[in-house]
Amino acid sequence: MEKGDKVWEVFVQKKSGLPFKHVGSVRAYDKKMAIQNARDLYTRRSEGRALWVVPVEAIVSVPLDNADAFFDPADDKAYRHATFYVTPEGVNHL
Amino acid sequence: MKITIENNEAKFLFRIADTSLILAQRMAELCSNAPFLEEDIAISNCSLDLFGRAEELYKIIATIEGNKFTPDDYVFRRNEREFFNIKLVEQPNEDFAWTITRQFMHDVWAKEVFTQLSSSKNEELVGLCSKVLKEIEYSLLHSRDWMYRLGLGTEESNKRTQDAIDHLLKYVEEIFNFDDLDKEYFSDCANIERVWQEEINRVFSEINIERKEIQPLSMRDFRDGFHSEHIGHLLSIMQYLPRAYPDAKWS
Repeated sequence: MEKGDKVWEVFVQKKSGLPFKHVGSVRAYDKKMAIQNARDLYTRRSEGRALWVVPVEAIVSVPLDNADAFFDPADDKAYRHATFYVTPEGVNHL
Repeated sequence: MKITIENNEAKFLFRIADTSLILAQRMAELCSNAPFLEEDIAISNCSLDLFGRAEELYKIIATIEGNKFTPDDYVFRRNEREFFNIKLVEQPNEDFAWTITRQFMHDVWAKEVFTQLSSSKNEELVGLCSKVLKEIEYSLLHSRDWMYRLGLGTEESNKRTQDAIDHLLKYVEEIFNFDDLDKEYFSDCANIERVWQEEINRVFSEINIERKEIQPLSMRDFRDGFHSEHIGHLLSIMQYLPRAYPDAKWS
């Protein structure tokens, strides 16, 4: 593509109250084009009632080479999961 | 098979239905050929809306005409002179500015047309209008936004848009030469022209486009089945399969 376009990440909300889910991305030159392209690509089969588009450079993510430092320390701390409790009698649907 | 039209209401509705169909076919030509992927899908979506609109209108026509013919007959078994679309929509996709300008000029017209038809006495037509008006609202967002991008974009895009407009305006005058049929089924013919001219002039003035005095082509009226030279080529592609294989069935 020529200069001027950028990538926008697309989020769709199925109905009011539910979380927005990431569904993919579109290319567009401006906000209006991004939201219209997202509508045409991701909601044409009644996938949702609300749409967000976010320019990809506005998203802050963990640099790939920092992934070990960010996430590995959680691996050996199984006690952080709430699995060490004895379920009281009478609780059937936990 | 000779397709006949007997009722005035059907005769009138063919103008609207054929205009939707022919524009749909023109836009479908861009499927896989649009300038970029997202726009390809956007144009194909609008095209599908127009095909759907045409089909519903042909169904209404078929009912009025006592089901002597099916929507497929109307689409695939008529010749040039038996189509009654406005000449604007049969103009080719010369470049993207033509495609968008044609769409914008059509959408502004269609919005007022379907607004007026939504107070028709025909209940099926009224039901269709509420759905169609939402589609047009969206299509208009798409085509109008693009007019701004093209008009205010680069020197090249502005020039191409001006060229497209200068050409397409030649086919506009006939749209507003309303006849008795139009006057019977539209609630306010004069308003169709007023709304169109106002909106077109407003947008052109905001996007550095000059509304030149364009001499309309001296061609006879679309209401009598007259066309520019482009319609034959369009129909030959659209109708090829059922003409070549008359026994072919949708499966």
